[in-house]
Amino acid sequence: MTIKVSGLSHTYNAGLAYETKAVADVSFDVADGEFIGIIGHTGSGKSTLIQHLNGILKPDSGQIWIDGIDITGKGVKMHEIRKRVGMSFQYPEYQLFEETVYRDIAFGPRNLGLSDAEIDERVREAMDAVNLDFGEMAERSPFDLSGGQKRRAAIAGVIAMRPGVLILDEPTAGLDPKSHADVLSMIRSVHERMGAIVMLVSHNMEDIAAMSDRVFVMDMGRLVCSGTPAEVFADAEYLRGIGLGLPPSTEMARMLGLAAGAIRDMDDLIDAISRMRKGRDL
Amino acid sequence: MIRDITLGQYYPEYSIIHKLDPRLKLVVTLLYIASLFLIEDFYGYIIVAASIGGVLAASRVPLRFVVRGLKPIMLIIIFTFALNIFMTRGEVIWEYGWLHVTWEGLRMAFFMALRLILLIIGSSLLTLTTKPMKLTDGIESLLAPAKRLGLPTHELAMMMTIALRFIPTLLEETDKIMKAQQARGADFETGSIFRRAKALVPILIPLFVGAFRIAQDLAMAMEARCYRGGEGRTKLNALRMKRRDLAAAFACAGYLAGIIAERVLV
Ligand SMILES: Nc1ncnc2c1ncn2[C@@H]1O[C@H](COP(=O)(O)OP(=O)(O)OP(=O)(O)O)[C@@H](O)[C@H]1O
Ligand SMILES: [Mg+2]
Repeated sequence: MTIKVSGLSHTYNAGLAYETKAVADVSFDVADGEFIGIIGHTGSGKSTLIQHLNGILKPDSGQIWIDGIDITGKGVKMHEIRKRVGMSFQYPEYQLFEETVYRDIAFGPRNLGLSDAEIDERVREAMDAVNLDFGEMAERSPFDLSGGQKRRAAIAGVIAMRPGVLILDEPTAGLDPKSHADVLSMIRSVHERMGAIVMLVSHNMEDIAAMSDRVFVMDMGRLVCSGTPAEVFADAEYLRGIGLGLPPSTEMARMLGLAAGAIRDMDDLIDAISRMRKGRDL
Repeated sequence: MIRDITLGQYYPEYSIIHKLDPRLKLVVTLLYIASLFLIEDFYGYIIVAASIGGVLAASRVPLRFVVRGLKPIMLIIIFTFALNIFMTRGEVIWEYGWLHVTWEGLRMAFFMALRLILLIIGSSLLTLTTKPMKLTDGIESLLAPAKRLGLPTHELAMMMTIALRFIPTLLEETDKIMKAQQARGADFETGSIFRRAKALVPILIPLFVGAFRIAQDLAMAMEARCYRGGEGRTKLNALRMKRRDLAAAFACAGYLAGIIAERVLV
């Protein structure tokens, strides 16, 4: 599975007084199995950009290839694209509609025309992946779950389609710390188990730094820079200029005068500090 | 798409039409709608079309935007058009089986469609150029005499504003839900009518749940800011007629005189 995007632009309400150029001339490549983090201040075009990748939005100009297939071309079967690219939108819990969690998660696989046995297997697998207990949750109404459980059930509905590309738009927004950690570890395990490309949009720099192979930075509809977390978070002044910041651990490492680039999360920071202390003690 | 529905939407601009007193705009809109049912011939339609065209130009709302708003009701227009063509008796000019087309039918169909289009344009111009808050103030103030009869005018006006205000919000919500279900492989565009109706369930249920959530949030937010109905409530921006409103009233009187004169004379 690979993704290639070239010259992608999208304008909302073109020609009206309040038209917005939400995505402007964005190009990038994603290799098989990569984990991409997307950051950018609010309104920078992240959601608009990713909604092009499974054909939900049509670009004004530019092309997108998923696995070598040009999905902006005429005559592509949207069905085939949606099968490959799974997308969980901002606040995915608002899409729940079935009588039971089981049936809601089965909605996607059923639309793919799978057999009942296959659907059952996928629902179990997806519920397991998002850490929802099958015996306890499967027959409950999705509307009776807690916020974090709803979120996980909704994401399971996307995972059950076994996409080769999994796109998540702020999957942890508004969750408590425990659900937050659960959702992240679920994403990590899906990435590892299914070998899917994951594209994660988040405002949490710490999560992005810890999880991504590469980070894309969006500003005013443009992809202004991309690189490993160490590269991207090296230029703190620039990031601040476009309304972003550093992960707290990187920030702290900078303040302590440590090599900030190598520090992605608290564990790295703790290691660095204890190494420093050992140096002193000697 | 679903977001194209412009009925009840506000188009921000700084035109003279936007600045007019909402009470005046409400009355003029009602008179305009009434006038549509007065006209019968070609010249009448010219007066109406020219006048509404003038207002549209003065409002600086792009024509394209208004036309886009007509799209969702195109089906109704086409339906009335077809109904009128085939159902009107008169001088037959074309026949096939039990279907027949008459001159009178053609004329009627054409005028009815035109009337519907002018009606929609006129009434959407009211909401396009008037903020919902002002619209309520206008309605409330116009209904004031009915308050003496015990009619809860403030509450009625508030309900209307909220309904208007939430049309775009609900459309936006629908758009989001449709996208999310499409991403899960839902298909709303193909299949038999029955299948397509069934495909609406995954949209309608979350939409209803969402609507209740929004309503509850709004009620809570209003309550938290001590809203308790119209009693003893004063206005920050009281409505006052200005010179431009007088000018507009004269223009409207001129328009009505024109329509009536045309009806009587031609
Ligand atoms: N359906 C829409 N119609 C019109 N304009 C829109 C629509 N969706 C987004 N926009 C506008 O496009 C721009 C980019 O929005 P987008 O939702 O892609 O930003 P984002 O980076 O995802 O922001 P956030 O972090 O707040 O989710 C914004 O200016 C927004 O107002
Ligand atoms: Mg977004």
